[in-house]
Parts: sequence; C-alpha cells; structure tokens
Amino acid sequence: MMFACCRRNTFLITHKRLRLGFRCASSASSTAEPADTIFALSSGQGRCGVAVVRVTGPAAGGALRRVAGLSCGLPAPRTALLRSIVHPQSKEVLDRGLVLWFPGPHSFTGEDIAEFHIHGGPAVISGVLQALGSLPGLRPAEAGEFTRRAFHAGKLDLTEVEGLGDLIHAETQAQRRQALRQMAGDLGHLYNGWSEQLKRCLAHVEAFIDFSEGDLIEDGVLNQVDIAVPQLQMEIEKHLCDERRGERLRSGVQVVIAGSTNAGKSSLFNILCQRPAAIVSPIAGTTRDIVETSLDIGGFPVLLSDTAGLRDTGDCVEREGVRRARQMVGLADLTLVLVDSMQLPQEPQMVSGFLSEYLKNVLPSAKDHEQGYVLILNKSDLLPKEHISMIQNVLTQTSDMAPVSILSCHSREGLDDFLTLLQDRLKTLCGDPLAGSPSLTQTRHRAHLQKCVDALNQYYEYRDTDLALAAEGLRLGLSSLGRITGKGS
Amino acid sequence: MLRLRGLLIQHHFLSNCSARTASSVACREYDVIVVGGGHAGTEAAAAATRIGAETLLITQKIETIGALSCNPSLGGVGKGQLVKEVDALDGLMGRAGDYAGVHFSILNRRKGPAVWGPRAQLDRGRYKEFIQLELLNMPRLTVIEGSVEGLLVSTADPEQPGKHTVTGVRLADGGNEILSSSVILTTGTFLSGSLFMGKTTSPGGRMGEPPSCSGLTHSLREILGLKLGRLKTGTPPRIVKETVDFSLAHLHLPDLRPTPFSFINTHTHCKPEEQIPCHLTYTTPGVDRVVRESLHMNSHIQQDTKGPRYCPSIESRVLRFPGRQHQVWLEPEGLNSDLLYPQGLSMTMPLEMQLRLIREIPALQRADIHTPGYGVQYDFVCPTQLFPWLQLKSIQGLFLAGQINGTTGYEEAAAQGLWAGINAGRTALSMPPLSLSRTESYIGVLIDDLVGHGVTEPYRMFTSRAEFRTSLRPDNADLRLTPKGFEEIGCVSSPRYLEAVRVRQGLSEALSALKSITMSPSRWKEKLRDACISETKSTLISGEEMLQYKDVSFDMVASAFPEILSPYLEFSERIKIEAVYRPHCEKQQREMERMREEESLSLCPDIDYFSLPVSLSDEVREILDRVRPSTLGAAMRLQGVTPAAIVHLLNYVTRTGRRSRAQRDADRQTKTPDCKHRPQTDQQAESNQNQEAGIVVQN
Repeated sequence: MMFACCRRNTFLITHKRLRLGFRCASSASSTAEPADTIFALSSGQGRCGVAVVRVTGPAAGGALRRVAGLSCGLPAPRTALLRSIVHPQSKEVLDRGLVLWFPGPHSFTGEDIAEFHIHGGPAVISGVLQALGSLPGLRPAEAGEFTRRAFHAGKLDLTEVEGLGDLIHAETQAQRRQALRQMAGDLGHLYNGWSEQLKRCLAHVEAFIDFSEGDLIEDGVLNQVDIAVPQLQMEIEKHLCDERRGERLRSGVQVVIAGSTNAGKSSLFNILCQRPAAIVSPIAGTTRDIVETSLDIGGFPVLLSDTAGLRDTGDCVEREGVRRARQMVGLADLTLVLVDSMQLPQEPQMVSGFLSEYLKNVLPSAKDHEQGYVLILNKSDLLPKEHISMIQNVLTQTSDMAPVSILSCHSREGLDDFLTLLQDRLKTLCGDPLAGSPSLTQTRHRAHLQKCVDALNQYYEYRDTDLALAAEGLRLGLSSLGRITGKGS
Repeated sequence: MLRLRGLLIQHHFLSNCSARTASSVACREYDVIVVGGGHAGTEAAAAATRIGAETLLITQKIETIGALSCNPSLGGVGKGQLVKEVDALDGLMGRAGDYAGVHFSILNRRKGPAVWGPRAQLDRGRYKEFIQLELLNMPRLTVIEGSVEGLLVSTADPEQPGKHTVTGVRLADGGNEILSSSVILTTGTFLSGSLFMGKTTSPGGRMGEPPSCSGLTHSLREILGLKLGRLKTGTPPRIVKETVDFSLAHLHLPDLRPTPFSFINTHTHCKPEEQIPCHLTYTTPGVDRVVRESLHMNSHIQQDTKGPRYCPSIESRVLRFPGRQHQVWLEPEGLNSDLLYPQGLSMTMPLEMQLRLIREIPALQRADIHTPGYGVQYDFVCPTQLFPWLQLKSIQGLFLAGQINGTTGYEEAAAQGLWAGINAGRTALSMPPLSLSRTESYIGVLIDDLVGHGVTEPYRMFTSRAEFRTSLRPDNADLRLTPKGFEEIGCVSSPRYLEAVRVRQGLSEALSALKSITMSPSRWKEKLRDACISETKSTLISGEEMLQYKDVSFDMVASAFPEILSPYLEFSERIKIEAVYRPHCEKQQREMERMREEESLSLCPDIDYFSLPVSLSDEVREILDRVRPSTLGAAMRLQGVTPAAIVHLLNYVTRTGRRSRAQRDADRQTKTPDCKHRPQTDQQAESNQNQEAGIVVQN
C-alpha cells in the first residue's frame, strides 16, 4: 500500500490541529464505543513471496495473540517474530510466518496494529483472512478504511491527504468491480432477492407501527412478516454453512479485449496467450461468446477475455454476444480497446476525434477515468510508414488520448512496446490489494451475512414485547445485506 | 421585475420617517417580526422572546390566535414526539395540550416506548385561551392585528446578484412599514389560499377569513425569485352533537390515568374522571355511492394538486380503496361544545351532498351539519431553498415555518415555528444560527428532510423517518434537548432546566444503583417471586439486566431493595424504559457519533462548486450546486455524491475550517465575553459533583 512507509514521528503542526478538531466534534458524548477492528490484505498480488495482512483497532492485540498462539503476551513492539499461524477455531496450522506488533499511537492508523507476513499463495491468504474473520469483533475493511483511519488520526502529510480521495476512489471502484463479478451470477440473484424480501418485511412492520391506529393499512401485515423472516434467516444460515461457496473464484487482474468487429481482437488474444485459443477469420463477427483464459504476464496473474465485436446486428446469437461483451467491459480492471487502423480517417487531424468517439462507444463510462484502458491501433502493417508517424504526431499532441499503442498482430511490429506498456499498467493495478482478491470480498460477504442473521434474531426476541426494537433488528439486517449488494447503507 | 424591486426599496427609505407617526407600532423597530398567529407563528414568537428578542406578532385577528383550524386533537404516533420535543425546548404546545386536553391516550401502547404516540382530544376554547393568555402577557412581545402586504428587502451586495437582506414588512392598510432585521413568515394555508366546496371557489385561508395579501406572494415569487409550489388539504363538516345516535357507534374510552405532554406537568388540567369519550363508527357502501355521484360537482378532488396522503379526504379514500369500510372517529370539540368532529370525513362536495353522505352512516342517519367541510389550496415555498435554521438561503433574515414549507399538521408547524423563532432571535441578536441534528431529535429529522429533499406532497412526521428511533423516544426528549436548550440555545427557562437536571441526575443514580445490585438467578427468583426468570444462566445478573425482562418492573425490584431504590420510585417508568433500551442505544451511539461529526463540518453557503479547486466530477458539482448542503453530513446523504467526492470535500472543509476558526478566535478577542450563561454552568458543575457523590453513597 502506498502509505505503508509513512509512519513518522513528526507530524506537520496543521495535522495535530486537524486531529484536535475531530476530537472536539466527537467529544459530545463520552460513552462512545471503541472503533471496530478491521483487517485487510495490504500487499499487492502477483508473483510475490510474501503477503502482508494487517489488523487495526482495539482488538488487534487479542487477534494477534489468538492467531499466532501467543498465550503469554504480546511480542515486543516493532520486532518481527516467527510463529505458526493457527485458525482459532479449528486449530489448523495455516502457515508459518512473521508477526509484528505496533501498539498505538505509534502506528500507521494511530491505533493498535498487528501485521502478519505470510506466504503469498492464494490458499494461505484466504485461510488467514477467514481465520481473522471468525474472531469476534473483527471485520474485513471497507474500501479506503485503513487510510481513512490514518487520515483521521492525523498521520498523513499534506500531499498524502491530497491523494487520499483518488486512492479511495480507486479502491472503491476496484472493490465494486470485484463484488460485481461475484454478484453477476446466481449469488447476486440470491443476495438481491433476500434484500428485497427483507425490505418488504421492514416496510410492513414500519407501516404497522406508524399506521395501525388508523385504517390506512391492510390487515395481517405482521403475519406475513412472521412467516417471511424465519424463512429468510434459515436460507441465509444454510448458505453460510454451505462449504461449496457458490462459484469458483479466480484471482487475477481482469483484462478484456474489446472493439468493433474484425479489428483483430482474437489475433491479439492468441498472441498474448501464445496459442491459437480463439478462432481467427477474416469474417466480421467470428467471435460470438466470451473466450477466457488465465495468464501470467510479467509475473502478474491475468484473466484475459476475448469478446464479440461491438456492432448492431440482427443475429440474436451475436446480439447476446455483444451484450456479454459490454457486460465484461463493465467489470474489467483494464480494457484493451482495439481499433482497425484501416478504419481511421484519411486526414490525420481527424484521427483523435474519431478515436474519442470510438472510445465513447466501447467504454461508455470512461469519461471520469473510472476504468483503465489502453488504446491499440492494429494492422499498422497495412498503412504507409509516413502516415503512421503523422498519426503518432497528432496523438502525442492530444494528451487526453494517451496511452496509444500502434502495432500489427500480423507482422508483430510494435508488439514489444505494447507488452512493456501493458506490464506497467498491470504493475499499477496489482499494487492495489483489493483489485483481485476474491477471498477478501468473500470474507466480507460472509461477515455481513452473519451480521444479518444475528440482527434478525432481534426481531423474534422483541416481536411481542417491543415492535420498535424488533423493527430495529430488521433495519440492521437490511443494512448488512445492503453492504453486500451496494444498495442502501 | 428589477424596476419593481427598485421601487420597493426606494419606498422603504422614503417612508422611514413618515412611518414613525403613522401608528404606535410602526414607529418602532423590532428584533423579530412574526407574520401569522397559527401554531408555527405562536411558537416562533414565543421562542424569539425567550431568546431575548423584542418581538412583534402580526396576525389578521387576535381572536383567532391559537385556533385549531382542523382537528380538535394533538399528538399521535410520530407527532407526539414532536410535541414532547417542543415542550422540552420550553415551547407552548405541550402545556397548552395539558391545559386543553379532555381525552388523553397513548397510541401504540403495546408496540414499545420508542414508538408510543401521546395524544389528546382538545377543548378548542381552552387551547386558544391558554395560548392567548401566554402570548398576550409575554414580556418583550407585542401583538397587533394587521395584514402584511409586502416585504421590505434590500440587495445586500452588488457582487452577489439574487441575494437580499430583509429589512421589515409593510402593512396593508395605510402602508405602514415596520422595520426588523429578522422576519418569520408563518402564513399557513393563507398564501394565495383558495377555498373549495362543490364547484364554487373563493379566496381564503380558512372559512370566513381572507387569504394573505397578494402582495406577499408577489414579493416571494416575483421580487425574491423563490420557487413556489401548490398543495391542498381539507377539513370535515362539523356535526351537531345532539343529532347523533351514539348507541350505533363503538365507545372509546381515554386512558384511566392521563399522561401529560409537558415534562414540567405532573398532571393534566382535566381530572381523570372528567375526561370525555370518543366514538368509532364506519362508512357504508352508501358513502361510496354518494362520493361517486358527486364527483362531477367536486372541483377540489379533480385537481392534480397533491393532498395529504396520510390524512386523506373521504373522496380520496373511497377512490383509492373502493368497497372498503373506512373508520370514522366521532371526536368531541370540547367539554361544553355542541359539536362533533368526524375525523376521516374531510370532504369538499356541495353542502347538500355532504349531508346525504353523512346520513349514509347509521350513527349519523339523522345528523345535522353545523358547518360544512371544505378544501383549501395554497402556495408553499419549496423548502430546499432553506438553511437548516429555516432561513432562506437567498434572503438574509427571512425565515419560514409551518405549512408554508410544505408540511401538514399542528405539531410539524409548531416544531418549525419554534426552531425558526430561536434562530430569528439569535440572528437579530448577532448570535450564530443553530441547527438540530437527526441524531438528537425529530425536529432535526423533520428539518433535514425538508431542506435536503423537499416535498412532493404535504409532509407529515412518522417514527419510521427517524433512523435513530430507539434513541429518540418521547420519554427522553427532556434529557436530549432541555439542557442543550438552556446551555447552548438559550430558549429554556431556568426552573425547567433545573428540573431536567434533577431528573437526569435521578435517573443516572437509579441506574448506577441498579447496576450495583448483582445476584445469581436463583437469588433473584427468591426476591422476585412473580417474575419468570430462567435459571439456566450461571452468571450474576444485575438489577439493570433484571429490568430487561418483560414482566419485571422497577417497582418490583424496588420493593425487594427499598433502602437502595425507593428514592427513585417517581422515575419508575422511565428507569424501566432506559434499562431496556440502553444496550440498543449504545449500539447506535457510534453511528450517531459519526453522523454528528460529519454534521459538525459545515459547508459555506457561498461555495462556488464549479470552480472549487478540488477533484470533483461535473455531475457531483452540479448536485452540490443545486442542493447546497449546509454540512458534510447532508452532502453525504445526497444521491449521486460519491465517497471519493466526500473525501475531497472533507479535505477542503478541514482546510478552510482551520482558517475560519483562526478568524473566529481573533474576533472573540475583540468582543466582550458573553457571561450570560456563566452562573448556570457553575450550577451544572455543582450538580455533576452531587451526582458523583450520590453514586459513591450507593456503592
């Protein structure tokens, strides 16, 4: 994480004031509960030997002792210790790694922090995250939460604070895409369905509370809720016990090749995976479904997808292909936008206008740079050399179009430059620990589902004695589900 | 338009001297002028004077001050909370209700104390009597009869086009002008009001009373350029009591022990046994028929204007739920009144059809109508143009409260009136305006909803609108607001404050005492024979936890430990509620804390969002520019404002906040310190000491 190295002893005086400001604002009530304890994978992914998992908050010390089996006390501050990492419930040894202890306030967030340096394999990482998630009082971090805490504790300097918004934006987007990927299938249907049901239940109870003294509501609304809530709770509990956990989740940066038909998308796909995985033909509309493969590019795990060319078509199979292609683009971390150079306007001055129109078609939401993309002009071998350099000149002058790669999948010219560019982008993307970590998303989902189940208990507990508290249970349950589906808060 | 404004402003300067001689009031300048004497206006005037402002209340008729234009009742679910909060801030409404109530009951009694709805049927005459007695004897308050024709405004700064400052009002007859730096408009349904019955329409705000002068609407819409909308409402016919056959309706008795609204009243004016009952009856298919047959003669119901969805006319109810029986409550209009108010039968059809309709109901088959029902349509000012302290964003010193902001209901009006009065008074006396948070009050929820989201239909309070409902209970409104009202706002009298502090101390001592009693379940079982306690628990249970059992009351525990707990028996019910709710409220505490923190970061009203040097998307800039949220918290609740945008804003706010804090510190040094609250704070410190001492004794 980019702020990992900024534990400073001296802070700008302005930030001390800033911190004071926040304290004052919250000192109205002295009985504030301590903040939650949160955890997250804070190292990037890729071919790294060591992964770092961080825990921050008042329960960090307890978590460290339980997971690292330190019965007699916490390790000396800021000193690495080699321990077996153990699942606190099953007692299974998950890994052997270094643990570190940073008691607050001299830590990145100003709170107590525990760090686990473990082996970088996905199974180990996901095991440790699940182990932490099973401890009471711990929950997975939301996007930007670590840095936000550091900010509130006055631990970021001015330039870092400036960048904070962008970082949180990036993390939010990455997390949203990751969640969307998991939600795209049956799981999404399931969660959304539960959320809808619970919303209906809550609406009934609220209506009963506010209107039952008049006659503006239907009879028997509470009976419907009494039937629906236990059913819902049972379904969620069953889902939580189901060890299959729905679909297999693969980690990696999601890269999608997209563009109009016959731009050479499948050719590029085959070059990148170094085998003829996708069928290539001169007929427009050859690729109709998503072709997907797992790759290793420069040491970074990549999930590469080839998609159908984007065009309006009467063919219903192809139309579905185009729909899927657009969906993939929406979920991708990086989109390789392929352009057939032969389609470029003759006038070099017109090129940038053409390309920005083209981009708008492929990436309708790209205007605020939510999604990374690389623009690639393919089939450069079919254009005269001087024409290409003219285009290059024009494009370097219009800076908002960068970066653009000009290459030929046929002659392989320009390919090396493109691969360097691609690796650079992957490196940035992989530096974001949230971009491709399905296990963290999964841990987060499980935590919210469990919270929802617990909250629903409150409904029964108070159903007959205090409907306001019963409704409160449904409200809490709905807000937990809302955190998964991203609707409501 | 420009020319008109020029004329008005010029006029104001010219007539300055001549106004002095015109009449006794016109020669004066007031701190605050309140226009309108309804629930909003009366609370506003009273609150402004409590703050210490010289206040003038202008009403069309002094005789109608405190009139209940529609239903003869107060409170209910959600609304009851507002009454308690207005009372906790030393408003009039709760005490007036206790004086005028003739039938008290707590609605939702079986649904939990957080959603209890304290409610009372009122004697119209007594309510008016109480309010008038209070207002007409209030120091610093002058009440005059008159109609306001226009507002006096001046452009504050040529640099800021569209921004004005209010300087006073001009009266209709003779054009007298009265100066004031703070004006509160509480014109209710009188702003371009028109009355509807059958196919006839006449201008008016209430039957028999003319609407506000058209000049006022003109001032608001044309000169000040405000966005106005139109809403409608209605009232049922009043029925002659002796023509009703009560044997055909269900008797509905009040609570045996009436619970007062006000925290400083131990009992209501009406004795328990003097309370009078209500009756419940239902509509018949005949009612449906009359509604449908009269539709072509009913222009009010044919209009598109939005009416109150939750207090609909009988026409809307029949059209929306055809073929159903609808409740009709036959409510007394007072102890000695010959009239009945049929709640649920608000209607606007022609008089002869109204008579036909009510006679379709068995209990009313021979009933006579004393006054017909009618509808009202009126202008409201879109409340998104207001700050949370109810001042218009574009007009310094002009405050709005009540139905003019698109709400419905006495309680909603009173709550806004109180808050506008407080802030108008503070503004006039050069104190900074204040806003109430959603985390501490229903008043805060009401105002935040209004200014943040606007209204599309008359806004009514519900408990479900409050996200922290379990903390914002009717029983603890005094703890939430009275100390703040005294220490920070300055609108609460000293005796009331001392009483709230005494209660707070008593509750806190009682809860500490309960916590100090811990025993095993079996011991508890011996002590409390009537309670069913599960003995499976092996841990010790405290007295506080015992109260969380449904059928364990504080009185039961107190009788087992009289030496420790008997001093607190007067708080019995409140202690039980506190004990049950405390764990849940503590869970909410962090969320509330967060919201309060965000709301403490204010966004300057003049920010130019389009040129703000922070990274925001055009879409977000547009939203922020349109709504102009006054705090970061309000910005966060806007749809379309992203978390990243919030961080950028937070960043901006904390940077500029530091600068303005430094500015304020510098200002403070030049002013003489305000020592008004000094002795009170000492008093409080003393009482805190007492409190601690009390706990020590208990342990």
